[in-house]
Amino acid sequence: MFAQTSLEFIFNENQITISNSEVITENILVFKGEIPEDQLPVTTSILGKIVKKEKEIHFIPIVPFGWNQKYTVLYNHTITHFSLPVPENYEFLSVSKIYPTSSRLPSNLLKWYIRFSKPINTAHIYDHIKFVNASGDTLSRVVLRLENALISDNATLLTLWIEPGRQKRDLIPNKQLGPVFNNQENYSLIISKNIKDNKGVSMQKDFIHPFLITDTDRVKLAINTWEINSIEANSRGNLLIKCDEPIDYGSSLNNITILNSNDQEVTGTWDLLNQEKVIAFKPKEPWKKDSYEVHFDAGIEDLAGNNLYRLFDNELHTISDKEIPIESYKLEFIIK
Amino acid sequence: MKTLITFIISLILSFFVSKAQANSSLKANFKTGDPGITSIHKMTFGPEGILFIGDSNTAQIIAIDLSAHPKVDNSKVKLDQLDKLISDMMGTTIDQIQITDMVVNPENNNIYLSINHSSGVPILLRVVDNVLKQVPLDNVSHSKTALQNAVSEEAKDRRGRKLRKWAVADLKYTEGKILLSGLSNQEFASTFRSIDFPFSDKQASSSLEIYHAAHGKYETHAPIKTFIPTKINGDSHIVAGYTCTPLVVFPMNEIKPGKHHKGRTVAELGSGNSPVDMIEIENEGNRYLLIANSNRPLMKMDFKDLAAYKDSLTTPVTKKGAAEGVDYVNLPYVNVQQLDKLGDGFIIIQRESNGNLALKTGNSWWVK
Repeated sequence: MFAQTSLEFIFNENQITISNSEVITENILVFKGEIPEDQLPVTTSILGKIVKKEKEIHFIPIVPFGWNQKYTVLYNHTITHFSLPVPENYEFLSVSKIYPTSSRLPSNLLKWYIRFSKPINTAHIYDHIKFVNASGDTLSRVVLRLENALISDNATLLTLWIEPGRQKRDLIPNKQLGPVFNNQENYSLIISKNIKDNKGVSMQKDFIHPFLITDTDRVKLAINTWEINSIEANSRGNLLIKCDEPIDYGSSLNNITILNSNDQEVTGTWDLLNQEKVIAFKPKEPWKKDSYEVHFDAGIEDLAGNNLYRLFDNELHTISDKEIPIESYKLEFIIK
Repeated sequence: MKTLITFIISLILSFFVSKAQANSSLKANFKTGDPGITSIHKMTFGPEGILFIGDSNTAQIIAIDLSAHPKVDNSKVKLDQLDKLISDMMGTTIDQIQITDMVVNPENNNIYLSINHSSGVPILLRVVDNVLKQVPLDNVSHSKTALQNAVSEEAKDRRGRKLRKWAVADLKYTEGKILLSGLSNQEFASTFRSIDFPFSDKQASSSLEIYHAAHGKYETHAPIKTFIPTKINGDSHIVAGYTCTPLVVFPMNEIKPGKHHKGRTVAELGSGNSPVDMIEIENEGNRYLLIANSNRPLMKMDFKDLAAYKDSLTTPVTKKGAAEGVDYVNLPYVNVQQLDKLGDGFIIIQRESNGNLALKTGNSWWVK
């Protein structure tokens, strides 16, 4: 028979601390939920470490305790319950940015990037994302569901591939189901409020991003049509590269380099502006009079996966057996 | 006295274990400590009880020595409500955990499950007498290597790749090499890597891109979802299952770094489906390929049929959902989420029709 009195507990998300000088047993069992006494012997306890100090004993769970989750503690023939309420000033998860930002997108769009305000729960992530048409019907087979979703190391940037088998001509899904989106139709990307952060707390409202589908894009990116603004020497003015179409967020920002005439890299920060049609570079140090080269990685893509080297759905006979294009893609500018 | 005897026996045993490890050339550069595993996306066993872990978050492969786990009989293993059981053990809810892989050590039949939790804490569990036990990962004998970005190296790229993410889709060990397939968030390409083991400072990894021509005139670049290294007619091959579901065969000796490779498509396993896992089972002289699928039952293919099939499917399958190529049979196991070999049979994690997620053995009658 267990007593129902409270011990000297301190709870936080990382541990239970029991201050008790009359320690009889070193064993602490913790259970998920408010478990009745008679069910304790047949209930699975939570994995964790027990650390004993001079006048304290700690239980450190294998993963942090969740907010608003009830727990039962069995210690020294006493049971008690606790839960951790979500703090009043808690910053709830939200979608902070989405790429592409334009509301007009090509029908063979290939990727979305969703930036969250804080790390997300990555398990079953695709269950919380859907696309609906203008009638409110949910589209099926839109996103390529990977076993391991493509989420950045800090779990804040999620990459979604629009089912390439449907976006690419002549593949079986494309032939049988057609492309995912139809030209001149409106859709919305919806991220459900049920998506959780890494502490198990949900978003407070659905995120809805409407967009209109326009013509298919089957033209390679052509840097020779891109324009570079003029910059004054000794200034820290932004270098602006105006592209002829929006470029892909994930493949672009870290794949561009500026070299001076001594082949040294100019350091600074990159950004995409004007619905990803302008690449902006802010130098760390003021510009010097010199001639510069902007080098672009061949893998930089537009919104439909066409890069500097090839189209996304190239015809087979046009492909070389070389994996990596050796051609250099660069633009030049001079600061006088 | 009893304590003293136990101590002496332990000392003698530890001497032999240490000596055995020291004698192992595969574990010569292993060291004990925290390997810094941040996620477990895929696992596979190599020889001598070495478990290879694909950690996509830190883009590294970690080899850990699990040879100390004793041989067990898991032939009657059965764990029901596996997702609830694991979430209860972690004090969390089912929607915050993901069972990312299940592997069996072929040398001692120990079953391991890898779990990722929303907090980012990776967990490795071992089945002990039908109960799940945690395998601590913070102090293990291990060796590891970073996944190099072969593309940028070859292109002499000096730019950072902070946004780049490469997720391990599958990894297998064969003949001193770890083979990996995966997908990055930058280009839709089927990259396939080979890393020498034991890992060395001058580790040579290659990046291969593979395409096939089963779908008419446009290349697919589809990522390999799951694969096995195997022998066909005595020669080393890769049998690979793609996302939309051609089964493709590549002779190992033809795969060269930095080249496109056109595989031979030997079967279409039905569109709207995606392979989940693939194993080879040898039983009483027969060899079978078992394939778990997202939208089809567990499939069994006889290696004799695979070896005898000399054609390559080069035209699209026109009948919706139809399968073509090498014959296979559907086994009565649907919604199989994880699959591995156990003894001369197999073990699965299956979402049963009543919603129960079960870890259980498959009936070995099917592979005799």
